[in-house]
Amino acid sequence: MSTLSVPPIGPTISGPMISGPLVDAPRRGGRLTAMRVLSYVLMVLVVLIYLYPIAYLVNTALKSNNEFVTNPNGLVHHPLLSNFVEAWRRGGFATSVLNSVLYTAVAAGLGTITSLLVAFPVARGYLKHSRLWGMLFAAMMFLPNTLVTVFQLALHLHLYDTRLGYMLILASGVGVGPLLIVGYLSSIPREIDEAAAIDGAGYLRYVLTFLPSLLRPVLSTTFILQAIGVWNDIILATILFTDSSKFPVSLGLFTFKGAYVSQWSLLSAATLIVAAPLLVVYVFLQRYLVASVVGGAVKG
Amino acid sequence: MHSNYIVFGRRWTAQWTFLLGMSLIIVFSLIPAVGIVVISFTDIRSLPFLPTHWVGLENYRTFFSSAQLAYNTTALENTFIFAISVTLFQNVIALFIAVLLNQNLKGRTFARAMVFLPTILGVTVIGLIFSLVFNPSGGPAERLWNMLGASSAFFGDPGLAMTLVIAVQVWAGIGVTVVIYLAGLQAIPQELYEVAALDGASKWQQLRHVTIPLLAPSVTANTLLSVIGSLQSYQLIYVLTGPNNPATQVLSLAIFTAAFGGGAGGSVASQGYAAAISMVQFVIVLVVSLVTLFYLRRRETSL
Repeated sequence: MSTLSVPPIGPTISGPMISGPLVDAPRRGGRLTAMRVLSYVLMVLVVLIYLYPIAYLVNTALKSNNEFVTNPNGLVHHPLLSNFVEAWRRGGFATSVLNSVLYTAVAAGLGTITSLLVAFPVARGYLKHSRLWGMLFAAMMFLPNTLVTVFQLALHLHLYDTRLGYMLILASGVGVGPLLIVGYLSSIPREIDEAAAIDGAGYLRYVLTFLPSLLRPVLSTTFILQAIGVWNDIILATILFTDSSKFPVSLGLFTFKGAYVSQWSLLSAATLIVAAPLLVVYVFLQRYLVASVVGGAVKG
Repeated sequence: MHSNYIVFGRRWTAQWTFLLGMSLIIVFSLIPAVGIVVISFTDIRSLPFLPTHWVGLENYRTFFSSAQLAYNTTALENTFIFAISVTLFQNVIALFIAVLLNQNLKGRTFARAMVFLPTILGVTVIGLIFSLVFNPSGGPAERLWNMLGASSAFFGDPGLAMTLVIAVQVWAGIGVTVVIYLAGLQAIPQELYEVAALDGASKWQQLRHVTIPLLAPSVTANTLLSVIGSLQSYQLIYVLTGPNNPATQVLSLAIFTAAFGGGAGGSVASQGYAAAISMVQFVIVLVVSLVTLFYLRRRETSL
């Protein structure tokens, strides 16, 4: 607080102004001042920086190889879909996309359940040394790079080149999950636990069927943060898989790139085949995803 | 409140389900983490049937030996250049984008969605998009360079590769940073700006004296996330420039290359040595994060 006098913010924050974390600034009329024009120009610039590479990708995917070589930058003249057919036929993307969906759902799902199972007893003091476990959860964010030992472990447990091994290793990387759930549980009154216990619910039934609906925001944050990590993995898949039918799409597409170097129309079509389902999902889940990532990062 | 007050009669269900969950974490995360320390003192190799010996500090001596020093110094330098640049650019640019998109502009929801989009596209898709845009034989970047009377091999140009990798990383990672700043901005009461405006503060002064101080917790969260993430990041660099490109060699990739080959060498990879690099990286990440956290927390209170 240096030069400007700022009123105390406590009472203002609890006031009706803030009804949720994503309230937008109130409208200030639609007058076009120089400031606003500048803002619009900058916003269009930002959008173009993100839209242009994707538009260029689409444009390239629609060109024949000849057209791309002779005119790489112009708008497509003779759009064709044969690149997509070709990429689909040669790339095996149906398998690798499905693999990725499976790995992401199982690893992030298992990781989220694990986070819940370990976080609840620590938050509620069901264990000795709850504080110590809590500190371990915090320390888990600072683990060294374990590529080498994970590889050795997979070899010795006969999990090398297996889907199960890959998913278990990724599931165990729960990161901030348990810490987030412990934090969120402090806002859930113990009276709810008691009421469920009095109604005759057992511990497991309570934790696995009642709690998830109470913890939905923090569980979805945990899931999505871990899912992004799993979806983006390429290195672990590279060292654990030799059988290409088990490759996740990150590695499948990367291998495809290696096999068809410089066939940019074909590569662009392959990239779009992989990106298209994501784009569709994104259109529907965008608000949800964004809110989850914020929740995880700020509390972490 | 009684901290050990138990609602559900017997503790043992809680305890065995806790152990079940912890066993997954212990077996596949904590044991490998501790194992890194142990095997960094051995000459373990990627082939399981070769004998393993204790070698003491040999691997650490190798890391700092004159034969490896040039390579490892480069990797260290690259790691720091990458981490500092990504953290700095990502946070400064994200702050401006967040302030911009927090204004009442038509189409801002679409703009926010576009900035966040790379988060879900995945590294390989992003890598391919930018390999295409920076394709040295006739891509849009090449045309731009030609118009400026220059030409470049882009990712193949040792002088430019690191800059481009940093730029792509910022492009890809900035969405999360922007979204966190947006959440922080929206928690700032509007009245503060009205008071500041009455006091005659310009837009710039409002940003400097209201927005930035009140955004300090988001700055801490974002900076820490970027620092930890970028010191350990390698997926995108791997996709863009390969595992063994001296111009973009960072510590994480040095670990990968030492342990699994992926290019030069040809000998059976020494995973003990790779583990030693992991430990060096671990110490760096720990020290840098703690120093950053300490510094930012102190700044938060002084603002």
